[in-house]
Amino acid sequence: MQAPNFIPTADPNPLPAPYWVLKLLLIVTFYLHILAMNFLMGGAVMALVGRWRSGNRAFAIRSFFDVGRKLPSLVAATITLGIAPLLFLQVIYGQYFYTSSIVMGWPWLLLLAMLTFAYYGFYLAASQDEGNFGRAGWILSVSLLLIFSIGFLFTNNLMLSQTPSQWAAKYFHDPRGWNLNLSEPTLVPRYLHFFTAAVAVGGLFLVLIALKRWKEETEYARYIFQFGGNAFRYATMAQFLVGTWFLVSLPKDKRMLFLGDNTLATALLMLGIAGALAAIVAVGKALEKDNVRLGAYAGSGLTAFVILCMSVMRDILRDAYLQTYFHPEEFAVKTQWNVFPMFLALFIAGVIFWLVMMKRYWFVRGAEGSGAK
Amino acid sequence: MNFPVWEVSFGAGLLIALVAILHVFVSHFAVGGGLFLVMTERRARRSGDSAMLDWLKIHSKFFVLVTVVFGAISGVAIWFTIGLIGPTATSNLIHIYVWGWAIEWVFFFIEITSALLYLYGWEKLPASLHMWYGWVYFVAAYASLVVINGIITFMLTSGKWVDTHRFWIGFFNPTYFPSLLVRTCIAFALAGVYALLTASRQRDVSLKARLVKWSEAWILPSFVLIPVFTWWYIRTIPSELWSSARGPMPTATHFAYLAAVLSGVTLLLALAALVRPARLRLGFSLVLLLSALVTMGSFEFVREAIRKPYVIQNYLYSNSIYVQAMPGDGGFDVDHINQAGVLQTGKWIETRQLTANNQIAAGHEIFRVECESCHTVSAYRGLRPYLIRRQWDQERLAAMLGGLNLMHNGVMPPFAGTDAEREALAAYLSAEQPASSRAQGAIDGETVFQRNCSMCHQDLTQPDLFSSLPKDPAAADEALKSLPGIFPLMPDLKLSDQERSALVQWINARLPNRK
Repeated sequence: MQAPNFIPTADPNPLPAPYWVLKLLLIVTFYLHILAMNFLMGGAVMALVGRWRSGNRAFAIRSFFDVGRKLPSLVAATITLGIAPLLFLQVIYGQYFYTSSIVMGWPWLLLLAMLTFAYYGFYLAASQDEGNFGRAGWILSVSLLLIFSIGFLFTNNLMLSQTPSQWAAKYFHDPRGWNLNLSEPTLVPRYLHFFTAAVAVGGLFLVLIALKRWKEETEYARYIFQFGGNAFRYATMAQFLVGTWFLVSLPKDKRMLFLGDNTLATALLMLGIAGALAAIVAVGKALEKDNVRLGAYAGSGLTAFVILCMSVMRDILRDAYLQTYFHPEEFAVKTQWNVFPMFLALFIAGVIFWLVMMKRYWFVRGAEGSGAK
Repeated sequence: MNFPVWEVSFGAGLLIALVAILHVFVSHFAVGGGLFLVMTERRARRSGDSAMLDWLKIHSKFFVLVTVVFGAISGVAIWFTIGLIGPTATSNLIHIYVWGWAIEWVFFFIEITSALLYLYGWEKLPASLHMWYGWVYFVAAYASLVVINGIITFMLTSGKWVDTHRFWIGFFNPTYFPSLLVRTCIAFALAGVYALLTASRQRDVSLKARLVKWSEAWILPSFVLIPVFTWWYIRTIPSELWSSARGPMPTATHFAYLAAVLSGVTLLLALAALVRPARLRLGFSLVLLLSALVTMGSFEFVREAIRKPYVIQNYLYSNSIYVQAMPGDGGFDVDHINQAGVLQTGKWIETRQLTANNQIAAGHEIFRVECESCHTVSAYRGLRPYLIRRQWDQERLAAMLGGLNLMHNGVMPPFAGTDAEREALAAYLSAEQPASSRAQGAIDGETVFQRNCSMCHQDLTQPDLFSSLPKDPAAADEALKSLPGIFPLMPDLKLSDQERSALVQWINARLPNRK
């Protein structure tokens, strides 16, 4: 009798486009999703931390609502941008992802109930007036806790999907799916790595709001610029510790990919570190010179670049974890030429149209508002 | 079989049904409600009805909170749920239609953005631009229905896709257009039903009356068209599938009646609201909403039920076994499993060796991978009550399992596996029947028929029913000793002398004029 092989067989239908196309779409859409998620989670953290800051009380309240009222739209963006990578993930890595999801079935499904509550919580907090500052804070805290938990469950599942050797013991221990992946040694540093990045982006979020407010309300804008800029710097500095912990926690063969064994992975890590260092220095200089424009542009540009590097590194790491089982060259490919170009055309048109929608909304001039009677 | 089975104690099918029904009830509102928003705004502006415009602001907030939050997350929840319960089907649908899903996502992105800008734009945007966002929303939302409808109907009627494997052939399948029209009408009706909910909260009775009449203008015409398009829809469903809802499949039949009756109730309630529109109460509109929810849930339930035994018609059975062998199927097709055995083919099997001592444990494994996607032992679609009703012993159960695909209008997939595995499954199911439920004593012919024959020979009006059975009692009794001798596909049941004699008597008395 052969040893049991629990790895599911790949789907019998051929890939509907070349592997690299699907991979590219996966990485690009995941990148957009993770950017939105960082703004959401980091923004909520900054709103709450800012709430308890000593000093200017009025500004603390103001910054709380300034960020808090943008969070519902960011949840919408995070979810909407999360659907596409989840789709492309299932095309390429379906047999790993479905299995790990089943192993932790109930927590995985219940995270959507948590997300629903969190989402309504963000709306409820945003709808409070400033007199209900305290209540808004508590509501937002509950939503944020739920978002933390959802992120933790995602880290659990995505790591489990990359470590098939863990599946059978967990599944047969409880086929009802009340399992997590707490035995995964990289789980905590990996989660904290994402968490710390989100806090940094949350700081950057405040810097971007400060840029928008600078002309009309310089004093308040300076307040959130200082707060956000410093949060960004300290979180990014902390990331060096957390990131190192994550790197050290990786199995040696995976770790060495980023330390010389894989040229692209190593280059991306170096670029990421350089980008993060440059961002710390640039935002520090901007704070020193009271130059919000420099802080916002340099900070966001460099951070966007660093997160892109990290997204590609994350993908390289996944393929390294799955290298024993995952052989993309074996996929049968039959490009659906009768529909794939239609998607591409609609995707490009959709992006342009979306930009037009945003432009028309933000740059509307001389309107009295359609609500005017 | 290829994936582990997620054991949902109260029934995996029930979980899918709950999540899906709640989602579709909101997602159709998201489509029809979009046109309702923009048409209502146009009407209010043209008639200078500022009170209606103020109500619309409240209604649009309600709309966004229901559709953008719950609608969007419950849509992802369906995706998660089917991935957990039917990963093979989900994977197939993703691979076959990834560009369809991706196109839908583009529309979804536009839809969500425009919904939020419409809501936030009330105080900021000029009227024409505000309405532009409303139109953008509706077109994007409807486009997403146009796409998803192709994939849902493909599952029910895969048409010529099975032979061609071509995207558009499966997409524009036989039920595509009637289903789209039915769903379009449901979407518009629901726009009115939901609007009654927020309208009923208005204190201005004159406004309330205007809103009720306006909402009814969405509900009533839809209710005229829904039966017409449903009739067309039913006509395009292959008769062997639709006939499940005409008796042979009790759940499908009950829910088909429920959908018909409750759609009538919903219409009556909607008409009743017109009697005194200014006095519409929240409670009444909630009852109407609930009635619409159960109607729609029943409709979706019937669609899902009559699709059985398939999850993708003529391609994949509900228990994730492929109907026919094809390259790359991993051996998860009926023929291969019959040959190699389910315990050897399944990936997630703990007990692979079947011995005389582990029959029940192995049978449980087989039940898990072949039956649990639809059945439980004693909860949703529970087998225990069914088996108690039938009173089959282990040997008879094993024989019956050989003809699963012939029973109840063919709503079950065939048992896939070796004879020894079929016997192991029978041993497990037999062990699940409480000994106290075993009937004792003599039985009459009708009971023998109900327990042993009615699953396949359900239609007593069929002219050629039992035509192969001799009329002479002694000859009929002899023939019943070997059912495959009468017809090769019959299970080899070993009826007792007493049962055979009672059955022959009953058949001759009940069907004296059979051929």
